[in-house]
Amino acid sequence: MDLSLTIGGPQGGGIDTSSNMINRAFAEAGYNVFGVREYHSNIKGRHSYNHLRVKEERPRSLKYPVDILVALDPDTIFEHIEDIGEGTKIIYDKSFETSDLAQARLIMRDTAKRIKETLDSASLPNNIKGALELAKKKGGIPMSIPFGEVVTTAISEGPASRYFNTLGSAITLSIAGLEQKFAEAAIKQVFSSKPKAVEDNVKVVAAAYNYALENGMAGEKLKVLPKKKRLLITGNDGSTMGKLMGGLRFQTYYPITPASDESTLMEEHENLQYIQAEKNKLKEGGVVVVQTEDEISAVTMAQGAALTGSRSSTATSGPGFSLMAEGISFAGMDEVPLVITVYQRGGPSTGLPTRNGQSDLLYAMFAGHGEFPRMVISSGDVEECVYDAMSALNYAHRYQLPVIHLIDKNLANTTDFVPDIDLKKVKVNQAVRPTSTRLSFKRYNLDTENGISEMGYFGNDVFWMTGDEHDEIGHVTEDPVVRDRQMRKRFRKLETALNEIPLEDMVQLLGDKKAEITFVTWGSQKGPILDVIEDLKKEGINANLLYLKMFEPFPSDFVKEVLGKAKMVINVESNMLAQAARILKLNTGIDIEHNILKYNGRHMTEDEILEAAKEIIKGEGKKLVEVLENGA
Amino acid sequence: MAHNFKSDIAVDWCPGCGDFGILTSITQALSELNLDPKDVISTSGIGCSGKTPHYLNIAGVHTLHGRSIPFATGIKLSNPHLKVIVPGGDGDMLGIGAGHFVAEGRRNSGLTIMIFDNEVYGLTKGQAAPTMALGEKTKSLARANVFTKVNPITLALTAGYSFVARGFSFDMKQLKEIIKTAILHEGSSVIDILQPCPTYNNINTMEWYRERVYKLEDDKSWDPIIAPGNEAQAEEKFRKAYEKGNEWGDRIPTGIFYDNRTIPSFHKRLNEFVPNYYTNPPATQIVTGSDGYTPVDVEATFSEKIIH
Repeated sequence: MDLSLTIGGPQGGGIDTSSNMINRAFAEAGYNVFGVREYHSNIKGRHSYNHLRVKEERPRSLKYPVDILVALDPDTIFEHIEDIGEGTKIIYDKSFETSDLAQARLIMRDTAKRIKETLDSASLPNNIKGALELAKKKGGIPMSIPFGEVVTTAISEGPASRYFNTLGSAITLSIAGLEQKFAEAAIKQVFSSKPKAVEDNVKVVAAAYNYALENGMAGEKLKVLPKKKRLLITGNDGSTMGKLMGGLRFQTYYPITPASDESTLMEEHENLQYIQAEKNKLKEGGVVVVQTEDEISAVTMAQGAALTGSRSSTATSGPGFSLMAEGISFAGMDEVPLVITVYQRGGPSTGLPTRNGQSDLLYAMFAGHGEFPRMVISSGDVEECVYDAMSALNYAHRYQLPVIHLIDKNLANTTDFVPDIDLKKVKVNQAVRPTSTRLSFKRYNLDTENGISEMGYFGNDVFWMTGDEHDEIGHVTEDPVVRDRQMRKRFRKLETALNEIPLEDMVQLLGDKKAEITFVTWGSQKGPILDVIEDLKKEGINANLLYLKMFEPFPSDFVKEVLGKAKMVINVESNMLAQAARILKLNTGIDIEHNILKYNGRHMTEDEILEAAKEIIKGEGKKLVEVLENGA
Repeated sequence: MAHNFKSDIAVDWCPGCGDFGILTSITQALSELNLDPKDVISTSGIGCSGKTPHYLNIAGVHTLHGRSIPFATGIKLSNPHLKVIVPGGDGDMLGIGAGHFVAEGRRNSGLTIMIFDNEVYGLTKGQAAPTMALGEKTKSLARANVFTKVNPITLALTAGYSFVARGFSFDMKQLKEIIKTAILHEGSSVIDILQPCPTYNNINTMEWYRERVYKLEDDKSWDPIIAPGNEAQAEEKFRKAYEKGNEWGDRIPTGIFYDNRTIPSFHKRLNEFVPNYYTNPPATQIVTGSDGYTPVDVEATFSEKIIH
C-alpha cells in the first residue's frame, strides 16, 4: 500500500475538511497519512490543494504522479495536468466538462497561459475536455461523476455543492478500498460538535459508496490494520506543543502567514493541563499570548517578559523577522533569553507569502547589527518541531542569548501522524530565583569561565540594562578594557554551548557510514531524502545523509570528518544560493560541488530528488546544479 | 526610612536642562509612595531622556529608540505586580515609537509613561521633534520646521489612555503629585512634561513656559476623575479633556486632564481567561515537574489532536 493523492478546489471550499476526513478514515483502518497543504495568498476562490500519501508505515515524503486526483472545481484539473501519470484516476464533477480555460479567471494568468500552451502543443481544445484528453494521453483515467445528482439522492434540501468535498473524499476512499464504516467514523470526528452535519455527511458518504460500487469504481477491499492512538499534528502544532511543554509562558506575535497559526493555537490552549503526578503539586497556570502592533513590538515585548524570569518567545516569518533585527541585536548585547521561531516562506520581500522556502538561513545567521552570539537551529519533521522548540527555550535560558528556530513553510503545513510525544525526551530547567533582593547585582559579571553570568530577575534584583556597552551591573561604559572583556565573555558562551550540547542535536549522519554518495540537507527535505536513499539502494547505489540541525554554533569537526571521507557529496536545499552549503564552507572550508535546489515555492518530492540525484551521479560531476520544478 | 531612589551615577545632562526637574520629581514621587525599589522598574528609549533609568536606583532598561513601551509592557504583563515607569523623549514616543504609543492606549497595561517634551532631538544636536510647531526655527535648525506638530494630550486621549496629564519640569511639586497619582492608576497613564532644552531650543525656554502655564486644578470645579459607578460621565469628561488639550499658545494648561478608573487594565482583561493569572503569573510559574521534565500533559491539553 503506497497511495498518493491530491485533492484540490477553491480556497474556502472545504479542502482541509476533505483532507481531515481522508486522514481520519485511514487512521481508523490503522494506516498512516502524510500530507502538505498548498494555498494562495487569498481567502476565497483561488486554487488550493492537499497532497497526501498513505502507507502502512509512516510516510515521510510525497511523490508524483499521484494515484488519485480529486477535482472539486475545473481549475484543479487544469492546474494539476502535470501531476497525472499512468493510472492516475481523476475524480471530477460531470458539470466541469463544459468548462473552458478562459472561464477559469482565478487561475494565475501566467499559469493559464502555460496550460494553454501545453494544450495547444498537443492540438487539444482549451477546455476541460481537452485537458482530460491530455490526461488520457498520459495514462490518466478520467472518472466523470454527477456530483449534484449523487448528493441529491442523499440530501434533498439546500445546495448540493456544500457536500461536494465529502463526496469527493468518500469516492476516493471507496476507490482505495477502504470500508464505508471507516469513512463514517471519520465524519463523526470531523463534524464532532455538529450532530446535523454528521447525519447529513454520513448520508452523502453512503451515497458516494453506493455510486462507486454501482459504477465499478470501488477498489479491492483494503486490509485493516490494528488501530493505534496517534496525534494528527502539523509543524505549527508541534512547535506550539513543544513551547508549552518547554515552559514557555509568554508569547508575542503579529499576524503573518504561516507563523500565526502557532500563536492562535496557543491562545486556544492557554489553559494548561498538568500530568497526574504534578496536578496536586503545581498551581494551575496559563500562557499569556499577546498580539502586538508590529513585529518590533513582538520582539521587544517578549524580551521584557524574559527579564522577569518568564520563558518567552515570538514567532514570525521573513518580513516580520526583518523588522525584528534591531531587537535581536539588543538581545545579543544584553544577553536576554529569547526564542524567535522563524517560519520560512518564499522571499525576498513579500515573495511567495504562502509558499515554501529556505532562503532565510543566511539572514538568521547575520540579522542584527554588530557582533553578538546567537544560536540558530532548524527542524526537519513534525516531531523535531516539538523537541527543538523545547531545546530552543533551554538554550536561550542556559546561554542567555537569542535562539532562532527555523521551520520551513512546508513543514509548518505538513500533517503527520505522530505515535507518541515523549514527555521525558527533553528536560526543562526551572529558573532559580534568589530568595532575597540583590541590589546592584552583577548581572554581567565578568568573572566567569564559561561566559555565562548569573541571571538576574526583575522583581527580585536591582541592576541595569542598556544597548550601550556596559559594566558588570549594566551601566553604560565606553571604557576600552571593559568593552573587550564583555565582548569576549559574550562570545565564550558559544564555545560552551558547542561543548555541552550533544552532537546528535547539532548534526546527524543517517544511513550507512560508508556510503558512496553523501547527501547534505536541512529542514523538510530530510524525509524525502531518506526515501530517496532507499530508492537508490534498490538500484544498487549506497547513499547516506549528513543532516544539519544547528548552524550556530556549527559542529565543524564532525562535518569535516564526514565530508572528508565522502566520495560524492550532493547538497539539497529549497533556495537558490545553497545557503546551508555556504555556512558549511564558512565553517569548514569545504566546497560542496553538487547541488539540488528548488525555489519555486513548492515542496520537494521524492521522485524529483531521485531523478536529479541520478542525473548527478550518472553525469559524474558534469552537471553541478539541478533545479527542481515540480508542483502546482 | 524610605529609599531615596537616586543612583550614584554622575548625571551628564546639560546645565539648566529640564530633565533634572523631572528626575527629582520621579525620585520624590517613588519615595513618598514608599515603594520597595525591587518592585519598580523603569524602561526608557534613546536620547537624553533614555539615560534616566541609570540615574534611578531601581532596576532599569535603557532600550532601543522608540521601543520602551513594548519592553515595559512585556515586564508588566509577565509580572503584573511590578510598577513600570517609562521615561521617554518626544521623538521616542511620538516619532519613532508612535505606533507603540497608540497601541498601548488600546492595551492599557498599567504603565506610567512620561514624555520628556522639549520639541527637539537633543542628543543628535537639535533636530525638530514631533512636538515642534510648523514654522518654528530654533537656533539648531538650518531652516524653519516644515512639519506640523502632534498634540500629545489629544493623541493620548484618542488612543484610549485612561489617564492623561501634563506637567512642567520647573514645577516639581505639581509634577511629583501627578506622577504619584499616575503610578497608582491601574491602567496606563501618559504625562506630557514640558521642559526646556537650553542647548538647542532657544524658543521654548523656561521663561517662555513660565509665562504661559496655569494649573487646571486651580479651577475648583475641574474634576477629571471618572470613578466606578460614574461611567456615564466618561463622554462629557473626555470631551472637556479634549477641549483643554487643544489649548496652546498664550495659556497652556497643566495638571490632570483625564482620569478614567473604569476602563479595565490589560492585566485585568488577561485575568479573565488566563488561569490564576494574578497569583501565578508567567514570571513566577513553576515550569518543570519534580522529576525535572515537563509537567504539561500535552495530550490532555491538545486532546482534539488525538486520533483514537
